[in-house]
Amino acid sequence: MKILLTLSRLIDALNEVVGRLTYWLVLVAVLVSAGNATIRYTFNMSSNAWLEIQWYLFSAVFLFCAGYTLLHNQHIRIDVVTGRLSRRAQAWIDILGTLLFLMPMALTILWLSWPVFVDAYQRHEVSTNAGGLIIWPARLMVPIGFLLLVLQGISELIKRIAFLRGMIPDPTEKHEEPSAEELLAAEIRRQRGESA
Amino acid sequence: MIAFVTSNMAPLMFTALIVVLLLGYPVAFSLAAVGIAFGLLGIQLGLLQQSLFQALPERIWGVMSNDTLLAVPFFTFMGLILERSGMAEDLLDTIGQLFGPMRGGLAFAVIFVGALLAATTGVVAASVISMGLISLPIMLRYGYDRRFATGVIAASGTLAQIIPPSLVLIIMADQLGRSVGDMYAGAFIPGLALAGLYAVYAVGVTMLRPQWAPALPLEARTFREPNGGSGTPSLIVLFVIAVAAAVGFAKYRYPPDAPIDEVLVVATSVGVAVAFSAAVLNHLLKLGMLSRIAERVTFVLIPPLALIFLVLGTIFLGVATPTEGGAMGATGALAMAIGRRRLSFGLLRQAMDATAKLTAFVVFILVGARVFSLTFYGVDGHLWVEHLLTNLPGGQLGFLIAVNLLIFFLAFFLDFFELAFIVVPLIGPVADKLGIDLIWFGVLLGVNMQTSFMHPPFGFALFYLRSVAPTKDYTDKATGRPIAKVTTGQIYWGAVPFVLIQVLMVALIIAFPGIVTGGLAKKATIDTNKIQIEVPAEESTTTPGTGEKTDSEQEDAQKAFDRASGKPEPGK
Repeated sequence: MKILLTLSRLIDALNEVVGRLTYWLVLVAVLVSAGNATIRYTFNMSSNAWLEIQWYLFSAVFLFCAGYTLLHNQHIRIDVVTGRLSRRAQAWIDILGTLLFLMPMALTILWLSWPVFVDAYQRHEVSTNAGGLIIWPARLMVPIGFLLLVLQGISELIKRIAFLRGMIPDPTEKHEEPSAEELLAAEIRRQRGESA
Repeated sequence: MIAFVTSNMAPLMFTALIVVLLLGYPVAFSLAAVGIAFGLLGIQLGLLQQSLFQALPERIWGVMSNDTLLAVPFFTFMGLILERSGMAEDLLDTIGQLFGPMRGGLAFAVIFVGALLAATTGVVAASVISMGLISLPIMLRYGYDRRFATGVIAASGTLAQIIPPSLVLIIMADQLGRSVGDMYAGAFIPGLALAGLYAVYAVGVTMLRPQWAPALPLEARTFREPNGGSGTPSLIVLFVIAVAAAVGFAKYRYPPDAPIDEVLVVATSVGVAVAFSAAVLNHLLKLGMLSRIAERVTFVLIPPLALIFLVLGTIFLGVATPTEGGAMGATGALAMAIGRRRLSFGLLRQAMDATAKLTAFVVFILVGARVFSLTFYGVDGHLWVEHLLTNLPGGQLGFLIAVNLLIFFLAFFLDFFELAFIVVPLIGPVADKLGIDLIWFGVLLGVNMQTSFMHPPFGFALFYLRSVAPTKDYTDKATGRPIAKVTTGQIYWGAVPFVLIQVLMVALIIAFPGIVTGGLAKKATIDTNKIQIEVPAEESTTTPGTGEKTDSEQEDAQKAFDRASGKPEPGK
């Protein structure tokens, strides 16, 4: 179990690094897209490659951050029914969910998307738009994203089992950075000089 | 047993989905897992082809190359930067001062600012938190009824969901296979009408229950003229001049048949520019022509109006696609935050982080829904839903009432992303088949889904208001008087009248469809989706609600897009 917990920590660290690097692409995508509109209007020219880069960046953000989002427990749940159950019961739900829901779907897509990438790579597939980008890097993003998700699933599984065995504190209660809403409230309060 | 399963795959699958979702495991993965499990079952039973899942990579590819969804991170990022730029605080302070001396004035200020923030970019949580921390203490200080005060704040915050640009409308457009630009145009009047109804309710309160919403006393008014006047007449004069400039410009500069939204955007910009130059000249040259409040109001209104122009103006003028409009707005918000020295490295990182996480979970719900629908459509689930819904008594009206009731009650448990990705694709094609305009339908559902933010006890707006409203009795700093805490019951009851107003708005849209379709005047918008509709091949191949596009259709759209933007076609 000790080895598994080390593995879990390694996976967490990996997805943390990937997530923190990938979120910069949000800013890049904003600037590219705003630039595209401005240049098209002012110089009356546009480039398919630059238009396609927008959604390459978008795809990278949601695919590479899927594991990172799972690590931070931010994938939406409907917890009106099970939200009141004990921590242990919720850990059991997460274990079963990971094994029965997350793993089968992520492995299926990982399995199916790899040959699509290999095919695109071997045929040097290029976008059908004039001046478009080569396709394989985008095709490669899918298996990478789902691999990161599978890895994070393994890590979450290890952490839940360790929690049920009393080896680690509740992993869902780990220290999270304050949310955007909490930061906003804190800032307004500071400026108003009120503690209410 | 096998025969029963074979003939009831769709209902069984749907029931399984509900049970699985209620387990509380992340929605995205649960959806996909149900799709895969029933897909395997269907293949075993010989209902589905062996090659069913080979279509999965293409489905994910379709999500990746979706230009519309790209707007989700853009608007989210814009909202996160904007909410920390201090714009909302300035607006609430100044407009509160302007309207405060009226009875119910603070409530009007909250509604006005709520609508204005909603039109820059819609983030319900941020609006509610800002108003809850800035306006609520003042309302409590001067004796506003607690239910009325909390209700008006929560409701004005949720305007962000329906007044363009909002994520709800973007995702609704994507799911219904319509253009975002049209969805925006259609939602504009209903959004403003809803804000108007809140204001009408506030007027009613001031007349029937004046003690619920008193005017601010003299000592609370900070922007006063040296001679003791309020300075409001000066603002009214400035406003009239600006409106006259706008109307005059529109009359003399444009022919009567010019596209209405273009005229509107340009004329409004002219009016704003006139008011702004007057205020700047007055300030720099110390002319003393304008009162303090007039100058201050003009200055605080400029940033939100500039952002609205950057986002909605460029879309309606046809300069930018709705997605690019989001990027323009995000860039504008960044520039504004830098200009106000509010942008720190920490804030930028935190905004990108939150945007990336939101994008990942939203898009993954869509990926899950696509996997689910692959099997669900394979077992004719859409025909089952259609059969259920078209057999309702009352035809179109019966369908609309049933669907709206369904959404209203589901909204107690599901939030809007789940409703939009799971429920809307099922009912969209049925609506289309019944001859219902899908833009109108999308706006209708958007207004309805607003209630999901206001439902006690799970409504997000109420949750955020609770998190910032005082939970302990305290002593007010300005007056030294003790103020009682705001109870959760007061927040819940305060929401009720506004939920009723939202329901009334749904009824009004059904009774008078022109509220939405009137906004869809002919215009010249660059919008990839809309251009696609003009491609003849498109109509027969795209099913509304699935949003599926093949590569060749996308190529067509791209060419049309290039033509529209004046780019020469390749090879010609």
